[in-house]
Amino acid sequence: MWRDIWWVAVHTLKNTFRKRSSLLVYVGLPIIGVIGSIMLYGSAGQQVLRVGIANEDGSAVIAADTAAYVSSLQHVKTTLLSREELKKKLASADLDSGLILEKGYSDSMAAGKPEGIAIQSVKGQTVTAYIKGMLNAYLDNTAAISRAAGGDRAAFDKLYADYRGGGFKLETQQVADTSLTKAMSVQSIGFLILFMMTAAVNLSEIILKSREDRTYYRILSSPISARSYVLANVLVNIAVMVVQVAVALVALRYVFGVDPGLPIVQLGGMLILFALVSVSLSLVIVAFSKNSAVSGAMSNFIITPSCLLAGCFFPISIMPDTIRKIGDFMPQRWVLQSIDELQTGDTSRISINLAVLAAFALVFFLVAAYKFGRNNDTKTFV
Amino acid sequence: MNVLEIQGLTKKFGNFVAVDNMTLNVKEGEIFGFLGSNGAGKSTTINMISSLLQPSAGEIRILGKDSRKHSRHAKTNLGIVPQDLAIYDDMTAYENVAFFAGLYGLRGKLLKERTEEALEFVGLGDRAKSRPSTFSGGMKRRLNIACAIAHKPSLIIMDEPTVGIDPQSRNYILESVKKLNESGCTVIYTSHYMEEVEEICSRVAIVDHGKIIADGTKEQLKAIITDVKDLSIELKPGSAYSLQSIGKIPGVRAVNEKEGRLSIQSDAAVDNLNRILKSLMDGGAEVKALQEEEPNLETVFLTLTGRSLRDQ
Ligand SMILES: Nc1ncnc2c1ncn2[C@@H]1O[C@H](COP(=O)(O)OP(=O)(O)O)[C@@H](O)[C@H]1O
Ligand SMILES: [Mg+2]
Repeated sequence: MWRDIWWVAVHTLKNTFRKRSSLLVYVGLPIIGVIGSIMLYGSAGQQVLRVGIANEDGSAVIAADTAAYVSSLQHVKTTLLSREELKKKLASADLDSGLILEKGYSDSMAAGKPEGIAIQSVKGQTVTAYIKGMLNAYLDNTAAISRAAGGDRAAFDKLYADYRGGGFKLETQQVADTSLTKAMSVQSIGFLILFMMTAAVNLSEIILKSREDRTYYRILSSPISARSYVLANVLVNIAVMVVQVAVALVALRYVFGVDPGLPIVQLGGMLILFALVSVSLSLVIVAFSKNSAVSGAMSNFIITPSCLLAGCFFPISIMPDTIRKIGDFMPQRWVLQSIDELQTGDTSRISINLAVLAAFALVFFLVAAYKFGRNNDTKTFV
Repeated sequence: MNVLEIQGLTKKFGNFVAVDNMTLNVKEGEIFGFLGSNGAGKSTTINMISSLLQPSAGEIRILGKDSRKHSRHAKTNLGIVPQDLAIYDDMTAYENVAFFAGLYGLRGKLLKERTEEALEFVGLGDRAKSRPSTFSGGMKRRLNIACAIAHKPSLIIMDEPTVGIDPQSRNYILESVKKLNESGCTVIYTSHYMEEVEEICSRVAIVDHGKIIADGTKEQLKAIITDVKDLSIELKPGSAYSLQSIGKIPGVRAVNEKEGRLSIQSDAAVDNLNRILKSLMDGGAEVKALQEEEPNLETVFLTLTGRSLRDQ
């Protein structure tokens, strides 16, 4: 039996990927989803932030260094200007963010009590958060030096000179603001979920299409049983899902260098569990559809709206409470929820979430199996 | 030995009886003709033989084994050429045949040999690398056949393999069926073309409304109608006459008109030729020619059902 299933599965795979467009749909889209979310979040990776610096602390070493440090950050372009100009350019959106170093800032740093540094921005949280996160690393280090010098200015200057000699680069990598990359990762997974669900239906639809072009009946008149045929299709479906997950995660983590904020293996495992949900749901859709036109319509009706409700496209926090409650009935919600929890290091409910996902898959599989069984009794021949 | 035995086979779709208590045997080495007009129940019968449909009642045995209890055995020994083409348009002819042959367990070198052999057999050896989307209707039909024979089944069932194709392809297919049969294969050949069945089949079953209304060798079937004479009357164009009044003449069983030619079945025992001609001339028709036809399967069908095979 497995020999037959293998034969049909390989045939289905070959036939599907014979078309170049399939490669784009099944492998390209998940990557595009990742790129899309990185762009959506005005990433540290892609977009250049324009930061204006108003240095009112003149020639003081630390103030100049701070400005230089910010300029040395990746994907940041700085301009030096006056406070008034900075405000004007921020207002006209010629700058994304502004850094103001007030008079006495350098001295306060040396004294270990940082004062007179302010960040302003129009783009809101994410931009400020990135600059702030990076700047904090520098401020923390300088504060540590100040503490080590114990108020002795000469000692401070010497330590600080050593620190500068080591370069800023090392530190910049240690402390990066992670809220941005976390949000980006969740968004990528949101898109990935949509693409996985769509792909699963497309692949299960092969069963309906083979019924329409009569090859299904020809195959069933060979020693292959209907069950083996469907099983082969399911195996292909799962294999494609696994590839999609792998491609998306590799693109996210290793090509674009976005840290999702949880171990990649955990994330992958959870998404593969969700792959089973996608496949089983697609089987339900196909089992209840007379032909591929019906299943196409049905999947449009189910997939995108449920992804929306589950928070695949926008964070669920911006939605009204009732919608949020409905979202809990969508399997996608439980994946996103689990990712949220794992990102914050909260593992208390993770096993419940996984169990809920497994239950979704199981119920869908059973419904599909039941319906397929009944369809076979009333097989229609024209 | 019987390759196929069917006993009391019945299929109901709701209240409609598509196949009605059918019983027949097909012997090894035969080309068995299954003749009937559209909707007679031929495909439904074949779908039950190939385990695609569950019979409502009755038994099917293939090579002596019940086809439902030993469905793998049954399916392995069958080669099905479905009425509707079942080939992949975006796979090459070779890939099509190889895929279907692989479903029967063929792999590797044997698969390659058998695939090439089957393509060669249906005359598509030089088109192995082309896709069916570039084929004519006849070539697609031939590929459909190649997909059913590569695994060398004991029984090949062809469901109207010549529908809607050019005469050349049709002759090619008929010749192939004969060659297959000579190479030891038993064939069931389904058609509503009387000439085809008459040309290649050794035994024929005539199906109508789900029932076998006659079966036997061609000679046996024609013997049924020794008590019937078959007149063919050619009329001058524009001749007026009444089919109805001819039908009322004693002894006349059926009257049909096609392209100015009347064909009349009548009891051989009743002498009514004069009355038929009189009826025609009274109506003002002019008879150009009159002929008593040799009985053929068409006549047999007409006699048994009162209808022409082609009329529907
Ligand atoms: N699935 C079905 N449901 C209802 N009626 C059917 C079904 N399949 C076939 N029939 C009917 O059964 C009869 C026999 O059909 P079929 O076996 O295809 O005839 P044939 O092959 O001799 O032309 C036809 O009247 C057809 O309409
Ligand atoms: Mg038919």
